[in-house]
Amino acid sequence: MSLLSLSGVTRSVDLPDAPPLHILRGVDLEVSVGDHVSIVGRSGSGKSTLLNLLGLLDNPTEGEIRFDDKRISAMSGNERDRCRGRNVGFIFQQFNLLSGRTALENVMTPLLYASGQQFWRRKQLALDMLGRVGLDSRAQSMPEKLSGGEQQRVAIARALVRGPRLILADEPTGALDVETGATVMALLDEVAEASGAALITITHDVNVAALARRHYRLDQGVLAPVDVKRVLALQPGATP
Amino acid sequence: MSGLVGAFSEAWAELRIHKTRVLLSLIGVAVAVTAITSVVGLGAIAQQATTESYERSSGRPASLFISAYNPTSGEAPDADTITEAFDTAVERYSVRWSTRSAYTQVFVQFIDGVTPVDATIVDADFGTMHRVKLAEGAWFVDSDADRLAPALIVNEVIWNRMGSPDLATHPTVTLDGPTSMTAVIVGVTPSASFETYPLMFMLTDAYSRISTPEQRANLFPQYEMWVPPEISDQLTPLIKRDIAGELGDGWQVDVNRQDYLAFSGEDPLLPLKLIVGGVAVLVLLLGALGLVNISLVTVRQRVREIGIRRSFGATAGRVFFAVMMESVVATLAAGVIGVFLAVLIVKSPMVTDFIGQGVTDLPAFPLEAAVIGLGAATLVGALAGLLPAIVAVRVKVIDAIRF
Repeated sequence: MSLLSLSGVTRSVDLPDAPPLHILRGVDLEVSVGDHVSIVGRSGSGKSTLLNLLGLLDNPTEGEIRFDDKRISAMSGNERDRCRGRNVGFIFQQFNLLSGRTALENVMTPLLYASGQQFWRRKQLALDMLGRVGLDSRAQSMPEKLSGGEQQRVAIARALVRGPRLILADEPTGALDVETGATVMALLDEVAEASGAALITITHDVNVAALARRHYRLDQGVLAPVDVKRVLALQPGATP
Repeated sequence: MSGLVGAFSEAWAELRIHKTRVLLSLIGVAVAVTAITSVVGLGAIAQQATTESYERSSGRPASLFISAYNPTSGEAPDADTITEAFDTAVERYSVRWSTRSAYTQVFVQFIDGVTPVDATIVDADFGTMHRVKLAEGAWFVDSDADRLAPALIVNEVIWNRMGSPDLATHPTVTLDGPTSMTAVIVGVTPSASFETYPLMFMLTDAYSRISTPEQRANLFPQYEMWVPPEISDQLTPLIKRDIAGELGDGWQVDVNRQDYLAFSGEDPLLPLKLIVGGVAVLVLLLGALGLVNISLVTVRQRVREIGIRRSFGATAGRVFFAVMMESVVATLAAGVIGVFLAVLIVKSPMVTDFIGQGVTDLPAFPLEAAVIGLGAATLVGALAGLLPAIVAVRVKVIDAIRF
């Protein structure tokens, strides 16, 4: 079943004294429940713009985005915000943990915007989630006291604590060394699979992209399937 | 429900985390609230002092003054006749407070010679009706009229001239006249520094006993009733009619209010209130400007955090409310501190003595001052939070996260 679909999505911005700049052109993408998709692209290829659209943070100039078969453009701002809060979990390159708050308080933050049991039991849910990423012993630690890998695990716990159906990971290993990055990605993959959420990883690292089941390349605003294994094989130092 | 609790939790967490910033902004608001609440509180004491000053000279609202005269000859009716008519009216309308008052001169024998003293001849109710303040002893009671040695209340000039004797020893003075008489001092009124002349109060009935018929005939007492202001307009023509009826034809009876509220429909203390209020509002505006400044700078520093919260599903309304709540919660806390400080200032003996000189009924700390202080703090918090909240709502999420 299609969770998120983009059809013919174009995003352009008007420039003063110049023709409009087309950042994304005719993007088509179908993401189903439990899917793992990677999108690779160089800087300036339109990755951030695509992330905004996938995360229900922006509207396309042309084309249509549907979430759960509902047209995003038909939703009001508040409906879209609530839909995002319930269904989408973000993981950022720079972790973006809230300073001055413990790991536990960071994981509890998305639950402040939930309702019912999720809101009232937010502390227990956050502790459980920290346990799942192996950080229950660091619940009271401040972000600056955690290593990069630990910070990203807190960010993963925070993204997953509301049980999202779609996880958007924006360069999730960009600020980590290779070994820690691999560990974090393995964890992310495992937790996403266990929760049945779809995972979209946006990265410029082909090795990270290769962990997904479907792979796309974004080049000059055009999204196209790519054979990552072939790309990996062409990389310097690769064995035939 | 969870949304409201969540917004409060969020606001409280922000305040806890940004203690230094909050403390800085709180200081400004707390000082402003202290100022506005103190000004209102001190204003109430100053207002009470002014009110009491008016009431000492012309009675409390509503004081009805009754006079009678012959419109042709100008002569006054016989004192006993008008007193009887006055007493009948007092009884008929169940007037709780009434007095006669007259001015005369009494000769007092001091150790260094006889001195003429201005005496106010009154009934026992006069003390309450004109808020007579005593430095020593007590005001007259009705039974003082029956003393063989008349009771006197003298001012500090007389008392000091006698060597400031302890009133428990029943100090006496000799009143010179056709027949010398000993009088007992039962109370002492304070004298201002500029007051150097001797003054005394004596009960009308006591004076009647010690004075000659000629002296009593020249006394010309005023008759005064203190009645509830809301019925004074109805009572005035009735009392006039009754006393005129008792006196008979040929007498003109006038009943007039002479208290400070009688001369104008407007509150005579309004200019004072307006000045005090104006100063208070100015102080609060200065505090609010400081708070807006700090809040705006803070929101700009928190753009990334706001973006992250939006990515978790925080609606624009929720972000707006949270930023507003932070401001309101902070200023409300500052308001509580400010009101507490204001109570300490206003009720400190030094300030009370300075502002409330001569006040007999020192007012309690006015509740309206506390309410105004807290209300002003909340309003300032809401206004100061409005601009930053609008800025916060306009944040573009992904741009903010990458800020």
